[in-house]
Amino acid sequence: MIEAVDVGKAFGAQKALDGVSVAVPKGTVLGLLGHNGAGKTTLVNVLTTMLPPDSGHAKVAGFDVVAQAHQVRSRIGLTGQFAAVDEQLSGLDNLILIARLLGATPREARARGNELLELFGLADAAKRPSRTYSGGMRRRLDLAASLVGHPEVIFLDEPTTGLDPASRLGLWEIVEGLVTDGTTVLLTTQYLDEADRLADSITVLSKGKVVAAGTSAELKAQVGQRTVTVTLADASDVPKATGALERAGMQPVAAENTLTAPVTSSREIATVVRALDEVGLEATELALGEPTLDDVYLTLAQHAA
Amino acid sequence: MTTLTAAPRWRGTDFGTQVLVLTQRSLRTLVSDPRMIVFSILQPLIMLTLFSQIFASIANTPGFPQGVAYIDFLMPAILVNTAMQSALQAGVGLVTDMKNGVLARFRSLPIRSGSVLVARSLSDLVRTAAQLLLMLVFAVVVFGYSPAGGVTGTVAALALALAVGWGLGWIFLAIAAWLRNAELMQTVGFLAMFPLMFASSAYVPISGLPSWLQAVANVNPLTFAVDAARSLALAQPVTGVVGALVTSAVLAAAGWIVAVKGFRRPL
Repeated sequence: MIEAVDVGKAFGAQKALDGVSVAVPKGTVLGLLGHNGAGKTTLVNVLTTMLPPDSGHAKVAGFDVVAQAHQVRSRIGLTGQFAAVDEQLSGLDNLILIARLLGATPREARARGNELLELFGLADAAKRPSRTYSGGMRRRLDLAASLVGHPEVIFLDEPTTGLDPASRLGLWEIVEGLVTDGTTVLLTTQYLDEADRLADSITVLSKGKVVAAGTSAELKAQVGQRTVTVTLADASDVPKATGALERAGMQPVAAENTLTAPVTSSREIATVVRALDEVGLEATELALGEPTLDDVYLTLAQHAA
Repeated sequence: MTTLTAAPRWRGTDFGTQVLVLTQRSLRTLVSDPRMIVFSILQPLIMLTLFSQIFASIANTPGFPQGVAYIDFLMPAILVNTAMQSALQAGVGLVTDMKNGVLARFRSLPIRSGSVLVARSLSDLVRTAAQLLLMLVFAVVVFGYSPAGGVTGTVAALALALAVGWGLGWIFLAIAAWLRNAELMQTVGFLAMFPLMFASSAYVPISGLPSWLQAVANVNPLTFAVDAARSLALAQPVTGVVGALVTSAVLAAAGWIVAVKGFRRPL
């Protein structure tokens, strides 16, 4: 559904995309992971026909993004980092406007607008100007707007940045529903957990290049496991605790009054507590650490070196 | 969630429908916030009130057309002036849309970028027409505006002012599409138009101006627009109407080309 081959784009001397290739099969989610400036948004802009690539080529829904931009645009939905809605218009009128521009009759447009508002829990706010919406509501309206035309491919550019946890979860559920219905999704995010939850495959971008690609499990195998960090009240107890954890089959690394050991599941926290208990120690703090995007980068950099 | 894909897919619509739908959108914003219209005619209303009182005695000076009341002389110029201010607002409106985020949405839709500009221009034409009509009603009711050209002449002058404002509007749309900064546009536009208005035949006959200003006024395109509108309203021999219309058309065409090009640049 999405196929980009060796796409390059430079802004002056700055190479935003340096030979990026991605392929997203129909009905799957690609998570595009990377920090600010990694080239995620530039790639989305190229694939949504907003920005012509300098080199390489890309097809979306079977059409070339440069030569057949119009056909591509009639088959995609885009939700950017900033809600692209008309703040003067009500939620319903925003959706009607887009449906009409896509070719719906006024009656069809209204029906579609109401249907989407209902689906996104915005029915109560249908008649209110969208400028009165909260950030989360505006994002939902924006996502609804990108779905008006029943797109085959949806681009979500950091859809949950700045959202509260509840809105974030709600948006995830909506995306999962879309995928169940056969929609293809390209999602950019800075959050590993978001990609982990939604994406079938993940591509990591750094400085305009693909530095890793694979499933979430494959990436995590590369990045290393989750870790548990134990904080002790007294730094002099660290050697004793290290011995206890080693006997429990772990490989702790000591630093001042803390110990960090890789774990495979959160259940191993219990192992840690038991091991410490056996030598009569108690942790003042126990924390489970998820690998972050930084870990991905660090590990990938180490691999590259 | 199955409802999301159950309905037929829409693939886009023709240019005419795009323009119609987008024009309705702009007008709807206008109706939902009529303060914009009210505030935008405040300045011309104040000018109308002040000038019609302060300069009323000009009508008694030599060089002023015989038997013409100052308000009848002034009103066509006010119409042209208001239409020009309104043209500037067309550009400001485009920039606001760009900031609003809604244009980013339009760009991802299968619509022609020109339709967004034409819709902007059309809705501003409607807005300007509403402003000019309000001004006329005010002038008739409060200041007893009744030119020799009567209703026909006045409507013709209004139409001419609209045409001039519409043509100039395309220039401001072009500037807006490239500059993309409302504050800067407003400042530059005001600085350019304010002296143009005074260094013209708008408020006093050219013969009453100092000679250096006369030189400016004689080549000022506004003088031609004001003279043309005035000749229609005052039922004088019609001068420069064709010239004003042709100039407007040329401005619109040039503005269109530059605006579409600028508008296509990525946000």
